[in-house]
Amino acid sequence: MMKLFPATRLALIFALVGTLGATACGKKADTTSRNPPPAAMPAALHVMGVTLGRTIGPDKRIINASQQFSPTETIYASVETMGSATAATLAARWTFEDGQLVDQSSQAIAPTGPAITEFHISKPSGWPSGKYKLEILLDGKSAGTKEFTIAS
Amino acid sequence: MGLLDKILGRKEPKKPADFSDVRSGSSSTAPATAPTPTASPTSRTYTVVAGDSLSKIAKREYGDGNKWPTIFEANRDKLKNPDLIHPGQVLVIPALSDGGR
Repeated sequence: MMKLFPATRLALIFALVGTLGATACGKKADTTSRNPPPAAMPAALHVMGVTLGRTIGPDKRIINASQQFSPTETIYASVETMGSATAATLAARWTFEDGQLVDQSSQAIAPTGPAITEFHISKPSGWPSGKYKLEILLDGKSAGTKEFTIAS
Repeated sequence: MGLLDKILGRKEPKKPADFSDVRSGSSSTAPATAPTPTASPTSRTYTVVAGDSLSKIAKREYGDGNKWPTIFEANRDKLKNPDLIHPGQVLVIPALSDGGR
């Protein structure tokens, strides 16, 4: 038999005891603790997607999706949400190039399921050419952005 | 833009675009506010007098004698037989829901 120093023997004993203990604890945890099934919770409201386009249908969905518009066009944004909320606010923040605010509007919603909210902006005197950005905020928190271009 | 700016290569600050005439709007397929739980329609009470019947009371209260089952159902705790009501009995006359009008 291999001769071991007393300190080495002690270390081996501790290691063996530790391994057995861990195994036993593992078995116990495995057999006794089962997570209860998650309770059915109402789905929290969240934004699924933002689509830009030239026209919308009666269901508020974009018909002609586009990210490039002419200066005289009305720009529509269709925001698809899932989930429910008793009171939520969707806001559309439209900015031009380096962040100049073009317009900000909001819509109170209290959906009980999938919903679509549309925002639109127009400028009778014509949009300046350049890059624009639309940011959608759900209860003040950014929920998506879309960039688009106005080109004559 | 001054001569010094030109010499220093400073660019003329870009004029902000005018968006004062922008028109915007929004709409949603979702309701703007959560449907408030409809307050239970107020109900009244009626004290039965001699000669009354549920259909007479329904005719008087609702304008339609055929709505007597509404009164009967609302008073099942005290009425076992719709043809048998007694003077002095206090009946609940529930408000008709929209569907019942």
